[in-house]
Amino acid sequence: MSNEVNAPRPAKPPSANKDKVIVRGLNFYYGENHALKEVTLSLFEGQVTAFIGPSGCGKSTLLRVLNRMYDLYPGQRAEGEVLLDGENILSKGLDLNLLRSRVGMVFQKPTPFPMTIYDNIAFGVRLYEKLPKSEMDGRVESSLKRTALWNEVKDKLNASGLSLSGGQQQRLCIARTVAISPEVILFDEPTSALDPISTAKIEELLDELSGEYTIAIVTHNMQQAARVSHYTAFMYLGEMVEFNETNTVFTSPRDKRTQDYVTGRFG
Amino acid sequence: MTATAIQTPSGTHASAMDRARALGRLKFSDSGFRLMTMASALIVLILLLGVAIALFFGAWPAFHEFGINFFFSDAWSPPKEQFGAATAIYGTLVTSLIAMLIAVPVGLGIAVFLTELCWLPLRRPIGIAIELLAGIPSIIYGIWGVYYFRPVMQSYIQPFLINTLGNLPGIGFLFAGPPFGYGVLTAGLVLALMILPFITAVSRDVFDTVPTVLKEAAYGVGATTFEVVGNIVIPYTRVGVIGGVMLALGRALGETMAVTFVIGNATKIQTSILAQGTTISAMIANQFADADPGLFTSSLLALGFILFVITFLVLAVARWMLSRLELKA
Amino acid sequence: MAGLYSGRKRRNIVWTGLAYAATVLGLTMLMIILATLIWNGFGGLSLDVFTKNTAPPGVVGGLLNSIVGSIITTVIGLAIGAPLGILAGTYLAEYGRNTRLAVVVRFINDILLSAPSIVIGLFIYELLVVPVGHFSALAGGVALAVLGAPIMVRTTEDMLNLVPNTLREAASALGMPRSLVIRHVAYRAVRSGIITGVLLAIARMTGETAPLIFTALGNSLFSLDPRGPMSSLPLIIYEFARSPYAEQQKLAWTGALILTFAVLALSISARALSASSKQS
Repeated sequence: MSNEVNAPRPAKPPSANKDKVIVRGLNFYYGENHALKEVTLSLFEGQVTAFIGPSGCGKSTLLRVLNRMYDLYPGQRAEGEVLLDGENILSKGLDLNLLRSRVGMVFQKPTPFPMTIYDNIAFGVRLYEKLPKSEMDGRVESSLKRTALWNEVKDKLNASGLSLSGGQQQRLCIARTVAISPEVILFDEPTSALDPISTAKIEELLDELSGEYTIAIVTHNMQQAARVSHYTAFMYLGEMVEFNETNTVFTSPRDKRTQDYVTGRFG
Repeated sequence: MTATAIQTPSGTHASAMDRARALGRLKFSDSGFRLMTMASALIVLILLLGVAIALFFGAWPAFHEFGINFFFSDAWSPPKEQFGAATAIYGTLVTSLIAMLIAVPVGLGIAVFLTELCWLPLRRPIGIAIELLAGIPSIIYGIWGVYYFRPVMQSYIQPFLINTLGNLPGIGFLFAGPPFGYGVLTAGLVLALMILPFITAVSRDVFDTVPTVLKEAAYGVGATTFEVVGNIVIPYTRVGVIGGVMLALGRALGETMAVTFVIGNATKIQTSILAQGTTISAMIANQFADADPGLFTSSLLALGFILFVITFLVLAVARWMLSRLELKA
Repeated sequence: MAGLYSGRKRRNIVWTGLAYAATVLGLTMLMIILATLIWNGFGGLSLDVFTKNTAPPGVVGGLLNSIVGSIITTVIGLAIGAPLGILAGTYLAEYGRNTRLAVVVRFINDILLSAPSIVIGLFIYELLVVPVGHFSALAGGVALAVLGAPIMVRTTEDMLNLVPNTLREAASALGMPRSLVIRHVAYRAVRSGIITGVLLAIARMTGETAPLIFTALGNSLFSLDPRGPMSSLPLIIYEFARSPYAEQQKLAWTGALILTFAVLALSISARALSASSKQS
């Protein structure tokens, strides 16, 4: 891991960025509770965007709007516009499963399915493609190589996914997501349940995946945001306080609240 | 950037179009599965309604013929086509009452023993044994009752009761008459044994919901086991214990096989609990197969309907009380 | 102070003594029942029991037709009750949750769980015996299904509620439709728990007598035809236990022993299964 704390890599100039996801005037409600207020930002293609802010600021909520995960629960609703390649994903008739195949998600706790390592990956692929066995083997292998897990599991592909260590499980979950080749991948505090070494591996992985995938990551850890992201969005009490290149947010924030947070005065 | 950009050994990935098509194929089975689960849930609902409706329609000729008197008449004469439910209802209530009077204190005692007094390594084995006993078919209790318990009742217990309690003024009439062995008391006792494991298992589960800290705090200030049970465990779990007891009552009221062997199947109300009697379920089990269609069958179905209503009410109250305990836990 | 303390102590001794007494009394009685069952049951156990059909008094008979009949009626009950119970439980845990329908169904199911089995027998008699005009093993199986299904509804729902929501979210995040999430991920995660419920339901169905009296009726001959009357272990115990002939009474005890062993084996394996799944 080459990145040092407080020395984020320089992001590409904004002019080279193409909008992949545009969020405009987004409001979100948990029943009566107004959790997101007029949030606006963009995720740029092939870039990593970090959502930071104190607990309860709405950063995870924002993430869960981007693949409409909130739809699983009654009483939660979003208003406004979220455009994925220009198409509003909040519209009523949208095929949620298709959306989620394009916008993948990795969770806080590793969530391997109760099946073999092989099937953990093949299962998602089978939803969309009927592949002959040899091609499926190739897909499983390439996904596991992509997440640097192949050498650790190649001899036990038929072992249960639950038999892996926490860090391996998390990389299996990333491999599973990569296998169906989404365009955007959302990471919801992917390392908060992991030890430092596994965390470093995941951060390396994020670095490798960027460029190919548009990535959004929610993190509690400011150093992590500084290390892995090109852009950073600081949220506070459901509002988007500041959104800019990571460098700028951490070194010369415009808003007083951002400054207080990144210098560790609250949160 | 498109989905096909990743180069893999196996070639390119599915395009968005292919995916939409693949998902479209799943749509039908997806909503199909949802509808099947919903239909199954509705069938559960319809079953209970079906029981009520089918029995009521079957019972209607009897209710229509005898009216409200059906509930209060102790007549039961197939040749004269005179039927009343009083004997069976009375027997059902009395046998269940006897069973509860015995099984509730003993069951609670065992539950207290298991949660507070028993040597720790033995708690689980004994608890499991009790739960297993709760699952033993009731006909086993019935056959044991008629071959082993009835002779004991006839030779020892009933003569003893007749000679002692039977002479007491005021309650003597309850223990009068010759010792047959068969009878309401015998049935009540066998029933008590049958529901004992059930009451024990339920109350032990309920006692286990008391937070350990509460009990430890009480023991910590020097309370005795009896005081902890009386002042902490029972008040904390009162609603649940009553719920469990009602559940057991529901079983006792509807039980057929443990009762029908030993109650004697007499269709007349007698004041002595040593005398033979019947219950709703025993009456149905004994007579339904031979009943002529018409009023006789209809009267038996009417008994079934009454049993259904009584147990429904008891079980509904039991479930309501247990759900209140769950809210608290 | 000392007097107060000794009074408290005495009361404690009396009440805990009563708890001990209740335990000794209760467990002794239950052990006596099991002991007499084993004593009498083993006495009649022989090869004939498993190879010969029930016979009239004076002829050496066995329980073959009853054992086979019990298996057939239970299998019918399971074939109908298991899909019904598991699917309804799935609805309560996955789709219905706290909707009004789910709340009502949950309540009704809890009632059915302890409803008097003889009433269920009468219901199926009205539903399937009267219209057809004769008794049948099929009707008996349906009655058993009505008794077994609520157990499976309950355990399936309880088990699915143990599946963490994050697992459902993770599966949905791959674009998996809800039914696939349930069938391939949630069911798999709690498979042994659901099977436990099925085994408990089989145990209950195997031991029931009352609902079979006016549905399957009983049959002294060997029969595999589910459309006609069929014997079963509980029915033959019910009949032979009231018989005046010693050899039939003996067979009743042997049948009772076999029945109890079957039920205990089912509940013990259910228990072992759920214990092993909790450890993993």
